[in-house]
Amino acid sequence: MSVQVTLVGAAAVPCGRIQSARDAPLQVLEHEILAGCVIEALREAGLTKESVGALIFAHPRPYTEQRYFGTFMANYLRLKADGLLMEVLGNGMTGGLVFDQAAQVVASGRADVALALGVNFESAIASPEHMVLTMRATGDLDFHVPFGFTPISWYAMDAVRYMHEFGVTRRQIAAVAVKSRMHAALNPLAQFRKPITVDEVLAQRPIVEPLGLYEVPPRSDGAACLVLAREEVAKALGRPYLALKGRGFHHEGAHQISEVPNDMIALGAAERAGRAAYAEAGIEAANVDVAELYAPCTIIEILVAEALRLVPRGRGAAAAESGETALGGRIPVNTSGGLLSRGHPPYVTPLYSFVELAEQLRQRAGARQVKDAAIGITSCELGNYNAALVHVMEARA
Amino acid sequence: MTLASIQVPGKRPYPPRVSQFTRTFWDALAERRLVTTRCRACSRATFPPKPFCPHCWSDEIKWGPLSPRGTVYSSTVMHAVPAHFQHEAPYRVGIVDLDDGIRIATRLVGIDQGFAVGARAQIVVLSYDDGPLFAAKIGTDPNFR
Repeated sequence: MSVQVTLVGAAAVPCGRIQSARDAPLQVLEHEILAGCVIEALREAGLTKESVGALIFAHPRPYTEQRYFGTFMANYLRLKADGLLMEVLGNGMTGGLVFDQAAQVVASGRADVALALGVNFESAIASPEHMVLTMRATGDLDFHVPFGFTPISWYAMDAVRYMHEFGVTRRQIAAVAVKSRMHAALNPLAQFRKPITVDEVLAQRPIVEPLGLYEVPPRSDGAACLVLAREEVAKALGRPYLALKGRGFHHEGAHQISEVPNDMIALGAAERAGRAAYAEAGIEAANVDVAELYAPCTIIEILVAEALRLVPRGRGAAAAESGETALGGRIPVNTSGGLLSRGHPPYVTPLYSFVELAEQLRQRAGARQVKDAAIGITSCELGNYNAALVHVMEARA
Repeated sequence: MTLASIQVPGKRPYPPRVSQFTRTFWDALAERRLVTTRCRACSRATFPPKPFCPHCWSDEIKWGPLSPRGTVYSSTVMHAVPAHFQHEAPYRVGIVDLDDGIRIATRLVGIDQGFAVGARAQIVVLSYDDGPLFAAKIGTDPNFR
């Protein structure tokens, strides 16, 4: 008999620039911020700290001075665990793997309640310095990195290829940034909430052509804690919760680039992970009410939405432009404001996706509520979506 | 085929590490030749070169020439770059499908406008003071745009 995994609580701090400058006399500390999220998430869930059986942490950025962060936090909060305590690292997928691992601990019966949590501080590190770290992930250290790639340079090349293949305009792609900001304006956790126009997006300085400042991820810090539980626990709490209905994963055996030419903008891993997740959940793409997709750049939201079959191939940009993927549209994507406007503290970004689904599927998203949202999906990735992890969540009352 | 060489003053911003195995590639590049490994069992080439075949896992490999000509799949101009590369910014990088069926990613040179998708390109050596890198140079092909 399998255990039904549920999400019963979530808390996060607003994304933004939280990290202190190295020489600031007073420092904002990671564990103080994260502890607040843990206490709030458990309180919101209606659970005590004694109920927690597992702690799955996102490994912090190397800028976090405190080492053995997970076990340190367990001490700081006096949280014990019979099931598991560990830190997870998987680049942009880290937060998704944290949720996935916490879900597996609950599914295995080793814990009735598991926390999926993490803090990502990096915004005080200047971008050129930070890119010295991230560039080392962009392919083979000896055969790609010496040319000066960065993670977003690959997304820029996706944009160029997409425009070439489908005759899509810059304006249509930029519509994703406008839509994201419109959503973020309604999200108290969002880093950027002032509405913007397509003309403003197109007027920004180039970062990785054709993408400008508003089409690439901001520098963000963040912290979040999710509370997962077996369904018996969720039911006893007597309030709305989310059930994990499906999960899909695929790694295409390539890192950033396949030496064997493939259709790079099909995001094959996302397509396969999505198909597996939908199958496990017994749903089709058309059943999805709201999608929180890991999309660091405008173009990536378009490509992932296509790969997950939320919109037809080659139509993702047009769907953003026409409002089809906006609040009130056929399939609202990234109602949180997404990575572009909600913010992108990379190792915990996927946790924020679940925070948004927790709001939407419990009908508490306020002005950005998707009416009667019952099924939501999240995605996250590695490289240029060389790997993807997709979860399907369902509202339960 | 001997590759064209472009002199670049200064050192490579982030030089590749060289192993006993990969030095065959870098030594050949310094002699303006593009080489890689090919599997004796399944005959497929691979890049970067490897001491085994990633497709069939045979360790019967041989070094041989890799076609230095190909077609641009995509490209970008990078303005925001890591600290090591600040002095070279903005610069172009691209993905090139070589005629041997190998996709590589490298610097793009010989282009001032547009993204050259579909344009023909040819591998050249970038001869820095401390050693070679390579790049794809856009040809003045009718497909150029």
